[in-house]
Amino acid sequence: MNNPTAREQDHNRSEEQLDLLQTITMEVAAAGDLPSALEVVLREVCVKTGWVLGHAWVPNPDAGVLDLVAAWYCGDGELKPFRAVSDASQFKPAVGLPGRVWESKQPAWVEDVTNDPNFPRSAAARTAGLKTGVGIPILSRGKVIAVLEFFMRESRIQNEQLVKVIAAVAAQLGLVMERKRAAEELARTNEILQSILSNMGDAVIVADKGGNFLVFNPAAERMFGKGAMQMPSTEWSHRYGLYLPDKVTPFPHDQLPMTRSIRGEEVDNVEMFVRHEKAPHGLWTEITGRPLRSASGDVLGGVIVCRDITQIKEEEFLRVGQSRVLEMIAADAPLVDVLTSLVLLMEGQAEGLRCSILLLNRDGKHVRHGAAPNLPEAYVKAVNGAAIGPRNGSCGTAMYTRRPVVVTDVMTDPLWTDYRGLAKICGLRACWSTPILAAQGDVLGSFAMYREENRGPQPEENRLTQIATHIAGIAIERQRQQEILREREARISLAAESADLAFWILYPEQNAAWMSEKGRLIYGFDSNLPLTCDLILSRVHPDERAAVKAAYDRACALSGTFESEHRLLLPYGKTRWVIMRGRCLKDEEGNLLETIGVTLDVSAQKQADLQLQHQREEMAHRNRVSLMGEMTASFAHELNQPLTAIANNASAARRFLEHGNIDPVLLQQLLQDMVADSQRAGEVIRGIRSLVRKEPSVHTLLDLNSVITDTVRLVSSDVLNRESVITTELDPQLPQVNAALVQIQQVLLNLIINALDAVEGLPPSERRIIISTRSDKGDVAEVCVRDFGTGLPKDRPDKIFDHFFSTKQKGMGMGLTIVRSIVEAHGGTIVAENAPDHGARIIVRLPAVRAQTQTTAVA
Amino acid sequence: MSDPGEAEGKEVCVVDDDLSVLKSMAYLLASEGFKVRTFSKAEDFLAHASTHHVPVVVTDIWMDHVTGLELLARLCAISPHTKVIVITAREDLAARATAMAIGPVAFFMKPFDDEKFIAAVRDALAEH
Repeated sequence: MNNPTAREQDHNRSEEQLDLLQTITMEVAAAGDLPSALEVVLREVCVKTGWVLGHAWVPNPDAGVLDLVAAWYCGDGELKPFRAVSDASQFKPAVGLPGRVWESKQPAWVEDVTNDPNFPRSAAARTAGLKTGVGIPILSRGKVIAVLEFFMRESRIQNEQLVKVIAAVAAQLGLVMERKRAAEELARTNEILQSILSNMGDAVIVADKGGNFLVFNPAAERMFGKGAMQMPSTEWSHRYGLYLPDKVTPFPHDQLPMTRSIRGEEVDNVEMFVRHEKAPHGLWTEITGRPLRSASGDVLGGVIVCRDITQIKEEEFLRVGQSRVLEMIAADAPLVDVLTSLVLLMEGQAEGLRCSILLLNRDGKHVRHGAAPNLPEAYVKAVNGAAIGPRNGSCGTAMYTRRPVVVTDVMTDPLWTDYRGLAKICGLRACWSTPILAAQGDVLGSFAMYREENRGPQPEENRLTQIATHIAGIAIERQRQQEILREREARISLAAESADLAFWILYPEQNAAWMSEKGRLIYGFDSNLPLTCDLILSRVHPDERAAVKAAYDRACALSGTFESEHRLLLPYGKTRWVIMRGRCLKDEEGNLLETIGVTLDVSAQKQADLQLQHQREEMAHRNRVSLMGEMTASFAHELNQPLTAIANNASAARRFLEHGNIDPVLLQQLLQDMVADSQRAGEVIRGIRSLVRKEPSVHTLLDLNSVITDTVRLVSSDVLNRESVITTELDPQLPQVNAALVQIQQVLLNLIINALDAVEGLPPSERRIIISTRSDKGDVAEVCVRDFGTGLPKDRPDKIFDHFFSTKQKGMGMGLTIVRSIVEAHGGTIVAENAPDHGARIIVRLPAVRAQTQTTAVA
Repeated sequence: MSDPGEAEGKEVCVVDDDLSVLKSMAYLLASEGFKVRTFSKAEDFLAHASTHHVPVVVTDIWMDHVTGLELLARLCAISPHTKVIVITAREDLAARATAMAIGPVAFFMKPFDDEKFIAAVRDALAEH
């Protein structure tokens, strides 16, 4: 049976529900965010469907629980405590009514919440008089974004219809929320993208298929100029300055990275030079481009990213420029060219910059023009040759003080007083100069930067100055060193040509040789005669050739040096004395490469040496002759003795014969004695002759003790004549010496005569001379002649060895000079000193001949 | 070397440090029959003279160790009657003057005239 009231009720309810859906859909769409939308839903559902209380729970993703975000109550004060409990509650999945719905993603109906085992708020619900509860999930993309909860006071079984309506409302809410969130997300993404595009340093440009720009970020505007975006890309190249890397050829439109990207090409790292109003010096960019494609792969447009590489490029140009200048230095390019290149390189690094390099003269006081390609000639001329000083412009002052000088206004700076007028004409307003220093710190010159505005240098300009002064220093120092080298070479070759010096190189492997022109003159070779080692050796005097060859071979074997003094025998019999010095050079493997050396013509020197030696011998001879004069009494005595004996014996023989009683044996004895005495007289004559004779002295082993004894005997008559006494104290251990007998006698005679002269003025009893010998460690044989006379000059006892020094009336003053030269020629020394008490002591030391050590031959 | 000659057994002493001269002097005197005694050292002669009668001595004036002048001086003390004949190898006026002051009877330079020397020896012996 139909119940019209019930049907009517149903109908009414349906209408209510439709109305509800409509209201909620409209209000939710108008709500700004989820909590306010939820509030609308709670209110509308409660009001329209008879629930007293509605809660909205939202997952808190951090804590993994549901939090209460919205609630609606019909104006009943009794519900307040329950609300407070709910506010303080959080539900984990499956806990309580909200948790149950959250986990199951399904609506849940509870007839009596006060008796439900899974309803933690049951006590509060009882107090509030709540019975039925329903929970509905709000799903978005399969996720629970909120749980709605409604309560009523009556206990009611599940009303499917009601649940469906609320679920539909919830679904609607989910859709609305989803759409809202998508829109928000898009907006946020756009915002981020805009922010990135605005803030990124790289230019980003997007164009559609027709070449119309869609995106042109601020960096792109900066790079390509304002208004570029309004320009169709087809007109870019000629309306805006886009150039190939040669900086002059316009970039072909069909090759532009954007054009290529729109064509569907992938473009990587294309370099482009850009110049426009806002970037009059131009800039460098490196461009990467990609086509924009739809999901189906059709090309919709293109996107390019342009990176500003101006600074990198400039660094590179500067570096390349520096390398070029350094290469010029290494290739020994003229200094002017090197410095000019350097100045131009520096000027190229900054707009409006002019530079100059001045050189400091070697006098260290005046400057010289170095390089200033862009300064007026009048200015360059005025500066050339100027003096440096504490107030001499920027450069002169920098060189003088060895410090950088910054003049920001040449019109007012006191340093520029002398150059102000000129600077004004030339349009120079600021000048910063830095001294160029050598590695050792010497000032070589200065590097200056000029500007037409009043300012000081910027960090970049200081960096350029640093580079410029460094390179200029290298260039100038190198050039100076080469100048010095050239001068030295010139001096050496001048010296070599003016001296009688031959340069030669021998290549023993090829038996080839080279010799300087002077060398060919010395050796007597024609200029065009091909030389060989053998040919050069053939010029060595035959007597010395083998020795020279041996010395040369020895040096080659040891790869050392050799030196030889020998004669050359030239064609037509002319001889030369030369000194030959050479050094053998080997390669890494030790093979003899060549021998280089010099030969010095010492003929003239040799001649002088021989003359000097001759003079010395002559002097020594004269000294000996004069000694003879000093010793006449001794010689007379020495000769008279044998002569007396001969005369006596002859007389005796004659008398025996006259008396007629001659015994033949006696006669024979007398004759024999006469022969012996004649020989003795002959010995004396020979001794005298040997002292007087001019003959080369022969060195023999001598026992100085016996030479002294003989010499003292030789002069004994004169010693007695002078009422003087010579005593000898001879060391029996005295080693032998290798010396010329006559010369040693000459030394002793000179010293004895000298000593006799020294004691002459004393009373006879004090006229004593002591001759002693001793051995000094067996290395030296020492002879000391000591007198007790007046002694030697106090200031310089050895003055007595000087030429022509004499304290005596007679004599030439040559004796002791000759004595010294003889002693030194024997490798000995002679010392004159005053004896401790009085008198003088002359000590001669001659190198001893060591006793031959026993050498046992080992078989 | 003794040769008995004209001398009346009187002995002539000769002093010279040069042995060959000493020997030749002995031969020369012996060839004229003088009895000769030779000394190469002055000390030996002085020792002899202090114990023997020495009528004549012929001495060199320069000898090692004891000079002829010294010998003369000491001989004066030992044997004032001995006649002295000096022979010398060198010209030395100072020495001659000194010698003469002491008292030699003759003074000869080496090499000397044998006749005059023999005569001088004879005269000296004759004075005894």
